[in-house]
Amino acid sequence: MSNSHLFLKPAFITTPGQNGVGRYFCQLQRVVLKFCKNNGSSRGMREFIENKLIDFVKETPEVAVYMKPRRHRTPIIRAEYLNGDTQWVNARNFTEDEILKWLQLLKTQSSDKTGIRLRKLLHTDHPSVQGPWTPYTFRDPKLNLAEFPSPELAGPHVVETTATEELLEMYKNQQIEDVNEKRAE
Amino acid sequence: MSALKRVQQWATFARIWHIYDATWQNPFKSAEVVKKFLMGLYKPIYHPLNDCGDHVIIINSGEIALPGDEWKKRVYFHHTGYPGGASWTLAWELHTKDPTMILKKAIYNSMDGNLQRRHTMQRLHIFPDANVPKSLLDNVSNQIRQLRPVPTRLDRYTAEEVASYPKLIDYPKDYIIR
Amino acid sequence: MVFTTAVNFIRARGPDELWRKRRIFKLAAHFIGRKRNCYSIAVRYVHRALVYATKGRKLKKLDMKDLWETRIIAGVNEHDIDYRTFRESLYRSDILLNRKVLADLAAWEPYTFKALTDVAKRRAIDDGLASINNEHKVDGIITRGALTKS
Repeated sequence: MSNSHLFLKPAFITTPGQNGVGRYFCQLQRVVLKFCKNNGSSRGMREFIENKLIDFVKETPEVAVYMKPRRHRTPIIRAEYLNGDTQWVNARNFTEDEILKWLQLLKTQSSDKTGIRLRKLLHTDHPSVQGPWTPYTFRDPKLNLAEFPSPELAGPHVVETTATEELLEMYKNQQIEDVNEKRAE
Repeated sequence: MSALKRVQQWATFARIWHIYDATWQNPFKSAEVVKKFLMGLYKPIYHPLNDCGDHVIIINSGEIALPGDEWKKRVYFHHTGYPGGASWTLAWELHTKDPTMILKKAIYNSMDGNLQRRHTMQRLHIFPDANVPKSLLDNVSNQIRQLRPVPTRLDRYTAEEVASYPKLIDYPKDYIIR
Repeated sequence: MVFTTAVNFIRARGPDELWRKRRIFKLAAHFIGRKRNCYSIAVRYVHRALVYATKGRKLKKLDMKDLWETRIIAGVNEHDIDYRTFRESLYRSDILLNRKVLADLAAWEPYTFKALTDVAKRRAIDDGLASINNEHKVDGIITRGALTKS
């Protein structure tokens, strides 16, 4: 158990985008092969440089390959991408085939995929079909013309009739009845 | 972010200005209502960390109505921090000193005490009467409905209305009206 | 347990000290100050952190439930129906959506959510649930109950 994911860059899951729809552009820009000239752990790396590196470079002229000999240290592969990512692969005791496979992988991927932590396993660029909620979505158009503060909008929505109002209503009805009776007479 | 999405974002997180008339309203129950608008709790996009709170203008805070005998019984406590610095102020005293204070404290106390509370309070504008600066009033685009209807006071009725009001009983002739 | 030799009485210290400590330091790597570098301090804070993590697993679910409820309440109040009536009516209409989906719909697909509130209101009127009266305007929603009643 470890909390190493806390040090990774949080990101959403993405697709490589439109790379290759028109023309393909290799996202790997630079590779540095660091190795020791006599240590055994660099043997595979040395053999790779001797036998396969020239072919690799001829295949992929768009990638700049650097070699950096340094004494008595583990061989590593450092890859730099167009988006600024730097990936670091420990190549200790790798055989020449393994190194070639790693380089192929670095060459074909669009960025450092090991240096990120996925915030969610699902992602979409268009989360809403109808458009997200806004304060204006269900706004009553009448409010556009209202003058604030407005006495009509001030009172509570549903109001039961008060006893006073009922009394006034009864009084009015009574008066109408009285008038009708008088007319009938 | 495309232009459309940017505008969509602005629309969703637009700050709305609400106005609320506190005439004859219970400040403590009003606080629960106003709080929802201040914090943005009425929006389905609400999250405590997203800044979706709105502005609320409260007018006529001098006309609030406290329930029961709370004008006499409710006590506001303050301590200056120095020894003997405690003071207790009755609600009616506080109201005469500053007619916006009771409502402001009611709303402040209705919210949870966290770092966001003071920033939320900054979006609240209370006025003791209906005189609101035009620059603020121009922003308003919604009115919060009151909790209860405002009754008309007896001295606000005209003499005609009083005269034409239906009479249920006549006082007996020997009845003494004090 | 029967000990045949005295060796077994000695307290077992587990794996090598370095690896034992390393296990703790890995969990303390993101702490600040001495609690990430000094073992005796780190181990206390790691234990505390693990306790919080255990409690947090349950609290996270409760917090999300509360947040979704807040959002749904915000959504339904906009359409003049209260939360309990809304959920009960949806349940009675065999629309079995959970809080997460309802909250998502309220924020991301507001017109779908409005349709849900209309269905709920219609159902609440048909079943005579509290706090809904016939004065609520529910247009375009016809249920079996509404047809048989009227």
